[in-house]
Amino acid sequence: MPDSSSPPSVRRRLRQGRDRLATVLVTAGGIGVIAALLAIGVFLVVEVVPLFWPSGATQAVSPQALWLPLEGADDSVRFRWDPTATLGTDEPARISLVPLAWGTLEAAAWALLIAVPLALGAAAHSALYMSPRLRSRLKPTLELMEALPGVVIGFVAGLVLAPWVERHLADVLAMLVLLVPGLLLAGGLWSRLPPRLQQALPLGWAGLWLLPWLLLLLAASHALSPWLEAWAFGGDLRRWLEVHLGLDVAVRNAMIVGMAMGFAVMPSVYALAEDALSSVPRSLAEGAQALGATRWQTLWRVVLPAASPGIFSAVMIGAGRAVGETMIVLMASGNTALMTWNPLDGLRSLAATIAIELPEAGPEGPHYRLLLLAALLLFIFTFLVNTLAELVRSRLRRRYRRLGGGA
Amino acid sequence: MSAALRRCLTPWLLLVMLWAPHAQAQTEEIAGSLGTVGSDTMAELMLRWGEALTRQHPGIRLQLQASGSASAPPALVSGTTRLGPMSRPMNEAERRTFIERHGYPPRELAVARDALVVVVHRHNPLESLGRRELDAIFSDSRRCGASEGIRRWQQLGLDRPEGRIRLHGRNAASGTQGLFRRIALCDGHFRPEVNEHPGSAAVVSAVAEDPRAIGYAGLNHLTPGVKALARRDAEGTRHFPDPEAVRRGDYALSRDLYLYLNLPPGESLPAPERAFLDLVLSPAGQAIVEELGFVALPEARRQHQRQRLALGEADP
Repeated sequence: MPDSSSPPSVRRRLRQGRDRLATVLVTAGGIGVIAALLAIGVFLVVEVVPLFWPSGATQAVSPQALWLPLEGADDSVRFRWDPTATLGTDEPARISLVPLAWGTLEAAAWALLIAVPLALGAAAHSALYMSPRLRSRLKPTLELMEALPGVVIGFVAGLVLAPWVERHLADVLAMLVLLVPGLLLAGGLWSRLPPRLQQALPLGWAGLWLLPWLLLLLAASHALSPWLEAWAFGGDLRRWLEVHLGLDVAVRNAMIVGMAMGFAVMPSVYALAEDALSSVPRSLAEGAQALGATRWQTLWRVVLPAASPGIFSAVMIGAGRAVGETMIVLMASGNTALMTWNPLDGLRSLAATIAIELPEAGPEGPHYRLLLLAALLLFIFTFLVNTLAELVRSRLRRRYRRLGGGA
Repeated sequence: MSAALRRCLTPWLLLVMLWAPHAQAQTEEIAGSLGTVGSDTMAELMLRWGEALTRQHPGIRLQLQASGSASAPPALVSGTTRLGPMSRPMNEAERRTFIERHGYPPRELAVARDALVVVVHRHNPLESLGRRELDAIFSDSRRCGASEGIRRWQQLGLDRPEGRIRLHGRNAASGTQGLFRRIALCDGHFRPEVNEHPGSAAVVSAVAEDPRAIGYAGLNHLTPGVKALARRDAEGTRHFPDPEAVRRGDYALSRDLYLYLNLPPGESLPAPERAFLDLVLSPAGQAIVEELGFVALPEARRQHQRQRLALGEADP
């Protein structure tokens, strides 16, 4: 081979050349990404500016109309999004971004409320207690879940899940009422089992032997739901909600969006949190247990704090995805620009509004610029969330570095 | 449901190329490509016309980009297309921009009739709605003159679908939503509770699965799962959205579908465009209109449009 015969200085120079090339490429890539990001921001700002300082034929939009309530309107029309009907007419413009921002945050909040406890619970269990064989099956499955496109999740949620939940509202409520205590009960019973039975049902395989119990709970809630509805809600939960709580039930509502988007966000939160938790050195947990800490104390006081930077960034990544997610919200929410606390009412998010209206908004018009303003808002929002996440993460990492915490 | 899926999965920019190299020889040899940009309501119609055209003149192919009516005027102004299908008439601003750029107005050509139907679940006992009632259901401005809003089925004198009325409609900024707002809401405002769907098919499927729902959609999207309501006029006469009433305009929620042409005054049509319009305004072209669930133009209007374009008599 020619390589072996060439003098070492040539080889060294070759290697140095390769190193330099790699450095240049990596630097160029980094600069390219930053430049692209800046270019997007600059483009949005440049396109939005004529909305407020018009030149030529386009008319200005008052900034107050974007976020202050309409004057002289009654409660129900204070914040309204209806640009096509009011822009360019004599009527006061109904272009409030408040209900859209509200919808975006509401959807993200519900999604995180559903995804974060489940994802973190699953991550803690699989990182610390699950048997390696089961874990090696579970991780690819969850990764597959992450690969599911948002359109498909949104389609299933909007056209299958939403009508089903609407027809079986009492079932869903019964499930909520039964599942959480039922699973806690299972944990309590397991810890009191005689050691021989505990060995037959090892903690590492809880993911499998809990399945029949889960199915039993589901069947029980299905069987109990008519009884629950008759006893507590006068036979019709929907009417009871309307009469007693004044809650309106929409078929496509914030709960459905939360469930669907929670499903979409869960795998990425799980994957990042699991990595963070499993990179906490074993010696820490073993040391704590050797000193007499219970399993719960070890998890809560030792492992979780050590992994907190990674877990925090996992949750933030989930929040970022939930805020920007478009298709799921578009298909599962009904796109009603409402501002209510009712989780059974519809909502309309910024991203879905852009997706729906931009193709129909004439270029260069005020409506088009308004939608780009919404895009700019989303851009700034995700930028802030990510910056905050990075700041908090690096601070936490500094604090827990001496523990050897992960990520 | 499958239509809704298709709508969501296909990209918003649908590019279809029609091309049939092995069709039989024709006496007239016209060749060329015909680019159109515009309405998605008319996408299927344009597609079928294009197919028929290629059968007649194998040399012509139609390129169709169906990204919404609002995309037609900019394309006509910039000159990327000479033919723009639109499901609504051009508004003043769009017309002005065209004239500023080209110095003459665009040629407007009505090519078919369409209607919006108000639909309810097939088991809903409701048969017809007056114009004030419809406005009171869908709007909170009530500009058609209703004294109070209608939010529950009981307010319409029904006892069967209980509770709140659930509202469904097309997305903001679509031509369909604009037309409904102009005619049915007397230029008022929709309630914010109206669920907005990205297509008429999605509206119909949402209404078909919910007995308490009401919605509006294009006439050609009717399915057996929903029932179209008649519209009562001021004298109490019911007008069903049947083809005859839509053609004559007795059914108030009807509209023309247009083709907009970039044609300098005094010039005659280029051959491919001429062949296309000849087909569209022929009995065969109008039969395609009916086949797709739209309504053909009245005979007199069809003849009048042919004369305006100097197309001559079509053979029956």
